[in-house]
Amino acid sequence: MEIVQAIIDRINYIGAAILFVIGLYTVLTHPNLIKKVIGINIMETAVFLLMVSVGYVAGGNAPILGLTKEQTSELYVNPLPTAMILTGIVVAVSITAYSLSLIVKIYEAYGTIEVDEIMELRSEKAVE
Amino acid sequence: MNIVKPSRKEGTKKTFDYFSINCVLIFLVAAVSTLLFVASTLTGSDGNVIGSGSIQTTIGYILKLKPLPLFIIMFPLIGGPLEALIGRKSENLRDSTVVDTTFITFIAILAMYPQVSRGTMNYFIPGVFGHGLSFRVDMLSFIMAATSGVLWLMVTIYAHDYMGIEEHRNRFYLWMSVTYGGVLGTVLAGDMLTMFLFFEIMTFSSYMLVAHNQSKESILAGNNYLYMGIAGGLSLLLGIMLLYAYTGTLNFVPLASQLAELGWRKYLITGLFVLGFGVKAGMLPLHIWLPKAHPVAPTPASALLSGILIKVGAYGMLRVAVSFFVPAANEIVSFGDSLWVVSERLGAIIIWTGVITMAIGVFMALQQSNMKKMLAYHSISQMGYIIMGIGVASYLGYNGAMGFSGSIYHIVNHALFKALLFMVVGLVYLRTKELDMYKLGGMWKKMPFTAFVCVIAILGITGMPGFNGFASKSILHHAIIEAYEYGHPSFKYAEFIFTLVSAGTVCSFIKLFKYVFCGACPEKYKNIDGEKGMMDLAMGGLALMIIAIGQAPNYLLNQFIIPATEGLTFDPAFINEYLVSMDFFNAKDVLGMLWIYLIGIGIFILGTKFDLFHLHLPRWFNIETAFYKPMARGVIMFSNNITKHYEIAIIKSDIIIYTCVLTGIIFLLMKFV
Amino acid sequence: MKRPLNSMQFPLYVLLLLLMGSVIIPLTTEKFNMKAKTVILGTLVLSWGMMLSTFINVLREGPYLYNIGNWGPKIGIQFNIDIFSTSMSLFILSLSILVIIYSLKDIEHEIYFKQISVYYSLVLLLILGMVGITVTNDLFNTYVFMEILAITSCAIISIKRKKENYMASFRYLILNTLGSLSFLFGVALLYMVTGYLNMSEIYIRINQVWELYPTNLLLALGLMLTGLGIKAAVFPLHVWLPDAHSTAPTPSSALLSGLVVKVYIFTAMKLLFRVIGLEIIDTINIPSFITYFAVVGMIMGSVFAIGQRDIKRLLAYSSVAQIGYIFLGVGLATELGLSAGLFHVVSHGFMKSLLFLSAGAIIYKTGKRDIRTFKGIGYQMPLTMILFTVGALGMIGIPGLNGFMSKWYLGFAVLEKGQPIYLIVILLSSFLNAIYYLPIIISAFLTEGEERNIMVLEDIPKTMSIPMVLIASFCIITGFFPQIVMDVVSRAIPTFL
Repeated sequence: MEIVQAIIDRINYIGAAILFVIGLYTVLTHPNLIKKVIGINIMETAVFLLMVSVGYVAGGNAPILGLTKEQTSELYVNPLPTAMILTGIVVAVSITAYSLSLIVKIYEAYGTIEVDEIMELRSEKAVE
Repeated sequence: MNIVKPSRKEGTKKTFDYFSINCVLIFLVAAVSTLLFVASTLTGSDGNVIGSGSIQTTIGYILKLKPLPLFIIMFPLIGGPLEALIGRKSENLRDSTVVDTTFITFIAILAMYPQVSRGTMNYFIPGVFGHGLSFRVDMLSFIMAATSGVLWLMVTIYAHDYMGIEEHRNRFYLWMSVTYGGVLGTVLAGDMLTMFLFFEIMTFSSYMLVAHNQSKESILAGNNYLYMGIAGGLSLLLGIMLLYAYTGTLNFVPLASQLAELGWRKYLITGLFVLGFGVKAGMLPLHIWLPKAHPVAPTPASALLSGILIKVGAYGMLRVAVSFFVPAANEIVSFGDSLWVVSERLGAIIIWTGVITMAIGVFMALQQSNMKKMLAYHSISQMGYIIMGIGVASYLGYNGAMGFSGSIYHIVNHALFKALLFMVVGLVYLRTKELDMYKLGGMWKKMPFTAFVCVIAILGITGMPGFNGFASKSILHHAIIEAYEYGHPSFKYAEFIFTLVSAGTVCSFIKLFKYVFCGACPEKYKNIDGEKGMMDLAMGGLALMIIAIGQAPNYLLNQFIIPATEGLTFDPAFINEYLVSMDFFNAKDVLGMLWIYLIGIGIFILGTKFDLFHLHLPRWFNIETAFYKPMARGVIMFSNNITKHYEIAIIKSDIIIYTCVLTGIIFLLMKFV
Repeated sequence: MKRPLNSMQFPLYVLLLLLMGSVIIPLTTEKFNMKAKTVILGTLVLSWGMMLSTFINVLREGPYLYNIGNWGPKIGIQFNIDIFSTSMSLFILSLSILVIIYSLKDIEHEIYFKQISVYYSLVLLLILGMVGITVTNDLFNTYVFMEILAITSCAIISIKRKKENYMASFRYLILNTLGSLSFLFGVALLYMVTGYLNMSEIYIRINQVWELYPTNLLLALGLMLTGLGIKAAVFPLHVWLPDAHSTAPTPSSALLSGLVVKVYIFTAMKLLFRVIGLEIIDTINIPSFITYFAVVGMIMGSVFAIGQRDIKRLLAYSSVAQIGYIFLGVGLATELGLSAGLFHVVSHGFMKSLLFLSAGAIIYKTGKRDIRTFKGIGYQMPLTMILFTVGALGMIGIPGLNGFMSKWYLGFAVLEKGQPIYLIVILLSSFLNAIYYLPIIISAFLTEGEERNIMVLEDIPKTMSIPMVLIASFCIITGFFPQIVMDVVSRAIPTFL
């Protein structure tokens, strides 16, 4: 029972780790470039989840000053990780956008977005 | 611009142009100043024998100038680019400038003598390299510098006419001057780092001389030279770093007591130094570049390579052997002190390497038909003598002065006669375009003066009494005899080989002279041109020096070589007894030489009779095909194969590598939880 | 300590100025003309001047911590303005200025005319990222700058509209993102146990953390080091580098190889020595792991370089080997080792950019990239090849050039640590360098090409040759007087240990 309790207590962290591994697995195994980008996105989500969970304080309020009425306790949730995650999401979005646009260009250039086929095309060219 | 012009047609310029006037003048002035120099060394005056008033003050000022070594090195280093620039305008002017700068450098070298004779000359430029550039001129350095000065002057006079058949002359003179600077820097350096700097400059600039004519063979020979030179340089660097890390000094001071505590590492350091300098010196398993590089280089460059550059390797070895691995004079009690142990073991190895080098060198020389290749193998063989001398100096330690003097003396002598021989061969090649000695003959009619100086050089190299080789060979002979008298009896065999090698040398040069100069002149060479004035001047100068040293062998020994031993850890009593006022022309040595000549002639007769000079050696005997080539090819093949097979694969598996590294690192780190 | 207020804020001004410049360039000028060039160079020279004055200020009055907007270290971003960060920023800016002067002419020939202003906007952002990552004292801020660098450098690579560029850029992007994510994961883990993102603040609490939560710390360290390893192209993680650096426009290859890779090394150094601290990493043996990776990289980078035919790819692989040298210095974790590493950062930056720029000049003039076609090129372009030779000889480690001095210092650092075997590896790697650099020089100067090898004065533009000559003269000057760099570097190192 203790183990289950411990898992439940740390479910966010475990979830983050699992998501990270899933993302990595996706990037690792899929030759499709878009799927690789999706994998990267999953990994990003994992990191954000971890970061946000770090800032969470059990029973804490939203860190907005002046909300005295609904305040149930003296505790506030740490606002800093949330702010950072916002930055992180912006970064993640820009990277996703950029990589998708690159994929479009790659498709135009090679006619495929499977990395295996692209590498084959390249090595054929190298042999020539 | 130099390539656009067609090669200067040989023989078209018979006019006595201003280059010749310049050369003759310089030659005369150099001869006069050398004579004055000799006179001043004998009288012991400060060399301040000419001029009066302001001239005297100027000379006096120059003679006391402290940064003189730096100027000496900078002259050719700055002069080189200047010459190349001038060469774009006028070839004659450039060649004159080359001779002039070389001459000025030579005079500046001589001007160091008063300071050197009073004691070691030190000059330190702080800041450079973080350690400072230090120059230290003692008699040993002075001898080397003066020898290279003489030789360079003669070679530049010679080169003017010879280089007509080569292209890219500006480049040649540029790198020749830079090499000069490198050589002078190496011999005048005061610590290992400075020495290494100039040593590497020398390696690279002389590479440009070797690969000069850009033919396939010269590029190959050059590659050989360059990569071996770099490998040697790196092993030298490793030795320097280890030495500095363990002893904290780079200066040439006795370190035996500090090295004694280092255990096996001291042998590593020793080995690295010997290896590093041995490559340049053409020591046996490392000699393979030499017989390739010397023949393909233009003759002036071959003369310099054989005359000075390989000596720099020997100089480095000598400098290291007599300064680092010996105890300081005040530390030792006697000859058998335990501090000598490194020096002794090092010496024993060097002696045997030297002996093997000389034997194989002369054996290979006998097999050659290409004249320059034969001379190159003789250089290896003669380097064997010098290395053996160094070995004796190091092996006998406190009593090693004989080996030390012998090797220095032989360095000087070999520089003179080997350069002269290369010049002779070069002149023959210039006129006939033929290097195979069996296809030549009767040249003495066409080039009587060349034949005459060739005889002088041959008598020098074979050690005829009355010529310079005799003096150094007898000292070296005494040295090897001492090695088995004071040391291990096995050196008796070394002495035997020594005698045999001398005989082989005699035989080999009889062969050279007979096939090139005697006999009937082949039909196609009936109408070739004769000699050229300036080339004769250069060859004559060297021949004169050979005779002069041969006639008065004690002069060089007493005035320079014995003072050179003073700063080092040698037994003064021993020097006084054996070396000072040494009698060269005693019956025993002269008779020994007679025997050597007889054996040599015997070998020659036997050899021609049984056709021993064209042996086809088995393939495995060639150390190059047996060892170096597979190694070089192996490295290249390995890299190419790896690149071919794995490069794309590695790039493809990018994320797999990331995952593996990540899990690996985390796995390793989790041990510490 | 009283300082004039404005001079204290110079580092921030530098970043803002670069940001502004990067926004202004594509906005103001439709065409890439003199005005745009003035803006670019003006921005850079002004930031260089400010960085120089900051550097002098720091030398004179000591380092300081600069809080942006006066937020405290708990929530604000902090810059650590000390000798290390200012001198390295100065190095980054100086080299960038030279490379950019070179690129003004070269780039017209490499990318479409329309994109030139965008390119410069990206380059200014790249420089912003590098300076930022060097001065910042905040882990999350480091991550942000890392992402700026990642996106800009990928964009710079893909700005050349070629097939290979897209793929190289994509691969670089994916790996870079993986690296950044690992780094951020580590940052989150560290934040979880310390509650701080500020490096100095974490360092104060790190011992306690090490006792209480070793798993977190070790996980964070592993993730962050792997991430930085990807970005700094440590040997087995170097996979993106050859493609990326060889396909990028040449001036940016010089920037990427000479500088961008180095700032990640700075980050790794900060992480190891300023965040975690020498005691902890010594107990978990990280320095020796780093040296193993470094040594393998030194050899394998050279081995791969020997097999290359494309000049820029060869130079890229050579970078992999040289990064090994730097990491060897870092991994020794001694004062001498770190200073040797930093010295090599500077000297490799100059040498490698010199090599890339001269290779670029060859491509500019002749269009040749295959080293087998370089026969007789020394006669066509003597100046360029002489400069290439200077760089190559520096790489081999010929005394008189700065590469020799870095080997010299590194050698003593290794010996001081008592591991002479690494010294042998260093020299072996030098020899391998000789094997792939010298044939290029030999075939350039000593073989006859198809063209008649007439020695002509080359006509590469002055704006291309002058920066190269300046870089080469710096290589030679620091080769003879290494103290110029070494004095500064060795004063910067004690803040790490």
